[in-house]
Amino acid sequence: MRISLKWMKTLLDIDMSIDELKDRLDLTGTAVETVITIGEALDGVVVGQIVAKESHPDADKLWVTTVDVGSDALLTIVCGAQNFETGDKVPVATVGSTLPNGMEIKKAKLRGVVSMGMNCSAAELGMGSDQSGLLILPPDAPVGVPFAEYKDLTDTVLELEITPNRPDCLSVVGMAREMAAVLGTTFEIPSGFPDETGEPIADSLRVDILDPELCSRYTARLIRNVKIGPSPDWLVERIVALGQRPVNNVVDITNYVMFELGQPLHAFDAATLGRDSEGVSHIIVRRAGAGERLTTLDGQDRPLDPGMLIIADPNGPVGLAGVMGGENTEVSEETVDIILEAASFDQVVTSHTSRSLALISEASMRFERGVDPMGCIAAQNRAAQLMAEYCGGLVAPGLVDVCPEPIQDRSLELRRSRVNRMLGTQLPAQDIETVLRALGLGVEVHDGDDSFSVDIPSFRPDLTREIDLIEEVLRVWGMDRVPSTLPGGRERIGGLDSGQRWRERIAATMRAAGLNETITYAFVDPGDLGRLSWELDDGELLVELLNPMSEEQAVLRRTLAPGLLRAVSYNQRRGVENVHLYELGRVFSTSEGRKLPRERDVVAGLLAGRWHAPTWHDPRSKDKGVDAALRGPQLNFFDGKGIVEILLEDLGISRWSTRSADVPWLQPGRAAEIVVRGQSVGWLGEVHPRVLEQFEAQAPVVMFELQLAALIKAAVAIRPSTDVPRFPAISFDVALVVDEAVTAESVEQSLSKAGGKLLESVRLFDVYRGAGIPEGKKSLAFALSYRAEDRTLTDEEVRPAHDRAIRKVSASLGAELRS
Amino acid sequence: MSTIDELNDMRTKALTEIAAAGDGASLETVRVAYLGKKGELTAILRGLGSLSAQERPIVGKTSNEVRQELEAALDGRRRDLEHVELEAKVSADAVDVTLPGRGRVPGREHLIEMITRQVVEVFIGLGYRIVEGPQVELDYYNFTALNHPPAHPARAATDTFYVRDLEAGDARTTGESDVLLRTHTSPVQVRVMENEEPPIYVLAPGKVFRRDIADPSHLPQFTQVEGLVVDEGITFGDLKGTLDYFCKEMFGHDRKTRFRPHFFPFTEPSAEVDVSCGICGGDGCRFCKYTGWLEILGCGMVDPNVFGYVDIDTERFSGFAFGMGVERIAALKYNIPDLRMLVEGDMRFLRQF
Ligand SMILES: [Zn+2]
Repeated sequence: MRISLKWMKTLLDIDMSIDELKDRLDLTGTAVETVITIGEALDGVVVGQIVAKESHPDADKLWVTTVDVGSDALLTIVCGAQNFETGDKVPVATVGSTLPNGMEIKKAKLRGVVSMGMNCSAAELGMGSDQSGLLILPPDAPVGVPFAEYKDLTDTVLELEITPNRPDCLSVVGMAREMAAVLGTTFEIPSGFPDETGEPIADSLRVDILDPELCSRYTARLIRNVKIGPSPDWLVERIVALGQRPVNNVVDITNYVMFELGQPLHAFDAATLGRDSEGVSHIIVRRAGAGERLTTLDGQDRPLDPGMLIIADPNGPVGLAGVMGGENTEVSEETVDIILEAASFDQVVTSHTSRSLALISEASMRFERGVDPMGCIAAQNRAAQLMAEYCGGLVAPGLVDVCPEPIQDRSLELRRSRVNRMLGTQLPAQDIETVLRALGLGVEVHDGDDSFSVDIPSFRPDLTREIDLIEEVLRVWGMDRVPSTLPGGRERIGGLDSGQRWRERIAATMRAAGLNETITYAFVDPGDLGRLSWELDDGELLVELLNPMSEEQAVLRRTLAPGLLRAVSYNQRRGVENVHLYELGRVFSTSEGRKLPRERDVVAGLLAGRWHAPTWHDPRSKDKGVDAALRGPQLNFFDGKGIVEILLEDLGISRWSTRSADVPWLQPGRAAEIVVRGQSVGWLGEVHPRVLEQFEAQAPVVMFELQLAALIKAAVAIRPSTDVPRFPAISFDVALVVDEAVTAESVEQSLSKAGGKLLESVRLFDVYRGAGIPEGKKSLAFALSYRAEDRTLTDEEVRPAHDRAIRKVSASLGAELRS
Repeated sequence: MSTIDELNDMRTKALTEIAAAGDGASLETVRVAYLGKKGELTAILRGLGSLSAQERPIVGKTSNEVRQELEAALDGRRRDLEHVELEAKVSADAVDVTLPGRGRVPGREHLIEMITRQVVEVFIGLGYRIVEGPQVELDYYNFTALNHPPAHPARAATDTFYVRDLEAGDARTTGESDVLLRTHTSPVQVRVMENEEPPIYVLAPGKVFRRDIADPSHLPQFTQVEGLVVDEGITFGDLKGTLDYFCKEMFGHDRKTRFRPHFFPFTEPSAEVDVSCGICGGDGCRFCKYTGWLEILGCGMVDPNVFGYVDIDTERFSGFAFGMGVERIAALKYNIPDLRMLVEGDMRFLRQF
């Protein structure tokens, strides 16, 4: 909503700077979005007089003019307009000025003649659309005076944000009322009543409202014999300031009154309206029929649906109620009589019509928010009076006023104690009363000072409850005056719960392990699961969006893998090869019959490339060449596993294992399930090259994804301390040659079990294949450490039991001792 | 030449050789030559038995003196040599201290999570608990119970993501649904008030979704933090005090706040909160669009209609709620030129925070 301060100042005194005014409006709920200074754009444009006019020597349609702009020298200006004579006064843009359309005026050579400026049309100065020729000024225009000053064009326009609860502020008068209230001053409501003449309207027009719940009031006036032409300058200037293009006097007046009073108006060419059987013009307000169409004023042919409210005559639609009129009844140069509509249409139906046709007008914007049904009559009278004055119209006596449901007066109770209890203030009754009266509300004080009865005018439909009045008091009295306090509640304990603390700890461990947190979209490509060869469980379904932004974001993610793999690709395409990411995020799935889906949080980690770019610390290998060696080893399965190990250890989860698994999106043989207390809590492995290709990522990429709830459930918060050993350990190394199929974990477990009470730990330190080891076998070397709590062990004491254990394990696993 | 003279000569010679020994090995050679099994002094000591009873104690005593003297000299010389060797080794071990160090680089927290955590910490200090809610919500929690009228524009399919409802048979065929991706964290308010009795002091951070095309200042998925307080005697002044404190903690104690009346369906009175611009200090600059202020929060007193949906007695209890966009705070505090950087996973961006 735009307001012109120049216009506003005709209704109330504004005795402060723009900055002060802006602050005051901002702090009382009318946000000032922009301040536009009009007239400043015309700097350098002055009133000039054409003192000579000669044909251009080299161009038929150009003139070489000599112009007096009040300075010492006359200017030579080349000009293409044809509508002027020597002696005419015109606006002249001098060299260095910039016109509102952005054109910079420079010294220019036009067909060999140097031009020192430009004689301007109205359109070039941003004053309407007339570009047929120069804007000829009256003979008394003072030469040399800045044009904006001469025309009193300087104005300040404020672009205001009007909140949806304040439809009354969508007019000049409404804003004048609001500004008067917040500035503590008074304002004048412009009004008018036309002289009426001729046959009364009642004999010439019949109005029927077929859907009274969608149109609470319909009024019409008849104005005969209008002369269509341009509007007066002052009116054009005001509507242009508010962003409206001038059309003709009748249409401009309907727009002007809408801006002024907030009531949208529409003018029909009376001659084009269909008549009823008795020959009377007939307006019908009804829902559109299926299949009906209307060509609106903007020339668009539009399909209508029964959800829309239309204005019709007996022949069909003539307007979209509250949105836009029809071309078939448009006011034109030939129009003689007009029927002027001022009505009150339902907010929801107007919104539906406007939005389903993607047609937003000044009128629809107002009806969508709510227009005061009591405003129709005043707007009719004001517009009729202006049309009589500026269009030469003869206003028919009376108006048609169809108002199916009379509008009820309302009043609300307001308790002073409630105001102060809600705001934390101690306002006296007087302050409250002052605010309410300033807003145009009627106030009656009772019960001493403690209660008010407040009359709510029809232009404030938003005031329906006591709290609405409390808001008004706070807003106008001043939010900035309310003292800041902190709540004093006694039963209040803050903090994270245990799940939230674990979650933070998991994130911290991911970072300690070298992973960087990222966030990816919850919506993904439905094809992503296929790219992963991921198969949903029986009955499990993806969560589908009905209106995604694009097909690539049409379902909610079931796993974080696609988002992270795309992040790898994003990095690699930009030359970032080493990628270490984690995300703590939500995944979704659903099944038939479910309303809300299942939501689960998971933690996923991803490693691609190497741990770091080449450094001078990395060992060189002559065999592989300097380059390969410098880059250090590529990340693989065990880098991922190392992170999982660190995480589970940090969570105090001791009973877990890695189980070789068939995971379709992971490379066979480098894929595992993480099992905690017999339950799978997630997967880990190197992403299959085939999958990487689908996501345009380069190998190696190691990933894992673990269920947060399962981890948190298994996590152990308090682990009792154990004694630090006081006696030294004794350690033996053993290398066992086993079949490839035998897992390191099973050998380690067998050794742990067979080793007896003194065996403290079993540590794998080498895996060897090659010379000396038969095909299909591998050598696993372990260090077994024995320790007693109460003495230093000797070789003699431990050796026999150790040897027995090794023999037992070898026998059970078919292992051979490697010498 | 008497044995004593022999001893004295030997002492002089040995001490000279000890002093001349240039390294551990030659020093050892000297030791062996005099004190070894076949050494000169050892030989004299061995020969004591052949001396006269008169001479024996004198030679014995002197031999022992010489031996002690030599041993002390050897030790001294050994320590000197070791010291020199250590010095030489140490100086050979010198490195270019400007070469880069070696360490496993820890990862970084995402900027959005970091700011969310900072907000959470401030409110934990004020006695709030942290609560969460589903990201896929019902229209009832996202709109209806938050006092949005049935035709509220935010419900439009152009603004809100709808999710296929697998429960209702009819809805599946018409494609209409009352299941949606939450457009704000406010539905958590309703869920908390449904399940708990006042006093309620909670903070609800989380992801929210709106149908905005991703561009430098919009993301279809972003992060909000919602706060809700319901207790006896909660005032608008309490709301002001709480958010004043928060803004100072979050943006710095020299920053000012201002409350501008605004409109939200689920609070009344409602306000937007601005914090003074940190670049210009409130004088106005390009960063704050020459206003001196940066908008960072929406807030208000809980609307009585919302209390009506959750059966909280509005005469006994009052409350306030507030919400903020974490991406916006991130953009303001860290001068992020394009919000899309927050969801791309570019390592070069993630490593900055
Ligand atoms: Zn600034």
